[in-house]
Amino acid sequence: MTFALVAVLLIALGAGFYARRRVVGIRAGGTRVNSLPNYHAIYVALWVLLPALLFLGIWASVQPGLVEQSVLASPAGQALPDFAMARDNIISEARQIALGQRSVGFIPESAGIAPVYAEANSRLSWIGGGIALLVALLGGFFALRRIGADFRARSGVERWLMGLLVGASLIAILTTLGIVMSLLFESLRFFQMVSPTEFLFGTTWSPQTALRADQAGSSGAFGSIPLFWGTAFIGAIIAMIVAIPLGLMSAIFLTQYAPQRLRAWLKPMLEILAGVPTVVYGYFAALTVAPLVRDLGIGIGISSASSESALAAGLVMGIMIIPFVSSMADDSIAAVPQAMRDGSLALGATRSETIKKVVLPAALPGVVGGVLLAVSRAIGETMIVVMAAGLAANMTANPFESVTTVTTQIVQLLTGDQEFDSAKTLAAFALGLALFVITLILNLIALRVVRKYREAYE
Amino acid sequence: MQRRVARRYAAERRFKLFGLAAVGISVAFLAFLLITMAWKGAGGFTRGEAQLTIDFPRSDLMVDPAALSRSDASNVLQSAGLEGVVDQAAVAQFGAAGADLFGPASVRELADQLVDDPSLLSKRAQLWLPLSSRGDVAVKGDGDPALEAMLTRAETRRSFNAAFLTSSDATDASVVGVWGALKGSLLTILVTMALAFPIGVLSALYLEEFAPRNRWTDMIEVSINNLAAVPSIIFGLLGLAVFLNFMHLPRSAPLVGGLTLALMTMPVIVIAGRNAIKAVPPSIRDAALGVGASKMQVVFHHVLPLALPGILTGTIIGMARALGETAPLLMIGMRAFIATPPGGITAPSSVLPVQIFLWSDEVDRNFVEKTSAAIIVLLVFMLLMNGLAIYLRNRFERRW
Repeated sequence: MTFALVAVLLIALGAGFYARRRVVGIRAGGTRVNSLPNYHAIYVALWVLLPALLFLGIWASVQPGLVEQSVLASPAGQALPDFAMARDNIISEARQIALGQRSVGFIPESAGIAPVYAEANSRLSWIGGGIALLVALLGGFFALRRIGADFRARSGVERWLMGLLVGASLIAILTTLGIVMSLLFESLRFFQMVSPTEFLFGTTWSPQTALRADQAGSSGAFGSIPLFWGTAFIGAIIAMIVAIPLGLMSAIFLTQYAPQRLRAWLKPMLEILAGVPTVVYGYFAALTVAPLVRDLGIGIGISSASSESALAAGLVMGIMIIPFVSSMADDSIAAVPQAMRDGSLALGATRSETIKKVVLPAALPGVVGGVLLAVSRAIGETMIVVMAAGLAANMTANPFESVTTVTTQIVQLLTGDQEFDSAKTLAAFALGLALFVITLILNLIALRVVRKYREAYE
Repeated sequence: MQRRVARRYAAERRFKLFGLAAVGISVAFLAFLLITMAWKGAGGFTRGEAQLTIDFPRSDLMVDPAALSRSDASNVLQSAGLEGVVDQAAVAQFGAAGADLFGPASVRELADQLVDDPSLLSKRAQLWLPLSSRGDVAVKGDGDPALEAMLTRAETRRSFNAAFLTSSDATDASVVGVWGALKGSLLTILVTMALAFPIGVLSALYLEEFAPRNRWTDMIEVSINNLAAVPSIIFGLLGLAVFLNFMHLPRSAPLVGGLTLALMTMPVIVIAGRNAIKAVPPSIRDAALGVGASKMQVVFHHVLPLALPGILTGTIIGMARALGETAPLLMIGMRAFIATPPGGITAPSSVLPVQIFLWSDEVDRNFVEKTSAAIIVLLVFMLLMNGLAIYLRNRFERRW
């Protein structure tokens, strides 16, 4: 593969230089050429490079699957156990040995499969590399045949560039599609094992019992309501109680009251608050804020106060969201026409009355949109809740008790010893799908609200 | 009437004060966070050392003096039983529990000192050696009382722990360092940058300059705006399903981390890029078109260079965010214990935020200050990147 890549690059370079020399030669002969020699060179090089690279990229992503099939079809592969999980384990170990990522496997069979795997891998690499070289050469011949005095190489190059531009912007759609497909695919497998109604409306969450197939109650309990309650409790209630008043008042102060110099200092400081990595907030919440909150809880007589309280995680998350709310509010306040403000002030209202009675109502859709985006960010936030919220799925409204969230559970489910067909790991994808859908809806509503509001004044 | 005016003015002052308080609380929280981290983390950059008397001729160390001039002398020494020598000397000086005071860091340090000065081997020497993790906590004043009492009998000091910046993860808190994770972070960011920047810039150019208004481009726009707001852990799930389970790329590698983060950062760059491109005045385009440039030449020769500073600012901010991202990397297996710095983008590696997360789970108290020290390193990087972005913005910002 690497060899093919280097060869393709060299061919492109060589063909480009050749094309350039030829066009320079034509030009020196006194003929007027349509495009500059460099455009001819780039045209040829692109024809060599892009189709071959595209092929190599596709080949690289399908090759492991092909290798696996050819290993399974070989005599050694047919002797492997039929049971899918055991077979996959052996093959994945054989792959690691074959690719030199480890020297010996834990399963004895893998040592026998490794040479078969290595052989199939190198054979398919050669085939892929060979086809890529062929594609490169064909592209080169095709392009070289066309260059000449009359050929419009520049438009050719520009067509390629246009293709690149379109391709780049399609990546966003592909990513979205990839997210939806991978979440949907794995979730469907999950819903074959656990009924969707249980997942969506069940009130017990204890995936741990599904660890072993022969255990009593091995199906586990996958009722996700407590997780969504915990997520909403921390992200949409506690965090917002902190973030909305502080963020909104900060925005009002910074836009309406603060002198220019002070604003120039304070605004970047709020932005730093948004730039601090979430793992730092999580550590801070777990190490410093959580004990304080627990002591406070015990101090006011709540004996069940936990050191992994919803309050600690929510508080810190709220602080993290402040700059987000404040900059959204800032934008929508700034968008309120000055004439409305002047009108209110001219009637004798004080500045705070103008803000409360005129500016805020006018800016309200923007603020609401900003708050919705903030909620969406808060419920998708992972590290703070992983480090500071608990693991027990509780449906409690007591902020001093521990609750768990969707993101915490995804991390828990996917970072242990994982086996890929168990309901336990697949549940993480179902949770991910639910999270994705919820944040998607929140974002779409928020964007619509914000856009509609902006149009009203423009 | 007068009373009502006075009341309204009081309300005005109160409102303004609330605003000031809101900003004050946020800034105070930031200060509290930074000061707590600096306070707790400062200790991570220093290590406690104690003076230990070692009588080399009477110890049972078997080292060929000729080996000391070889390049691997330090390793030879460490495997020649230096640990026993240190334990012996510590027991002789502090009593039976003294062996707890010195750990792997002191063996490493002693080996280095012997390589520097082989003549030590023939005499009874008083040497400064770093303490073990437990000893370190004790010398900093809140450890095991027995060890603290023991340390009052020796000369102790604090010195700068250069090894923290040059070594990698370990099981013993006294010898851990951030270099492996830092290198992993840099490699991951390089991959992210190499993918996200060109793709982001190209699609911003397409959407802003060429795209017709139709259903397709609407779909592209909606997906970019939506991707920018998708929770980061979802990108981790995507990476796990596509790059690891489908494409079988190596686990825990910067390559996969970079790919995942690139998909996450790309929309941020596109949005910043579009704003920067939109800010280039139409007169520039008209002028170039007027002298006969093609649309593509206008974009690549004139619009892009003028928009580049703005795009770069957005890119740096996106990169800073990717540098601090943890959750998606946990999903693709970057939470393994990795004690050597990665050799390339396909080698298993850790990254700084994940390293912080892993250390924060350790029970050893010495890990608390190491975690905070690693946080300081990460924050310094973030602030540098954000500072660079602000500098670029101020330096190149142009009003048309």
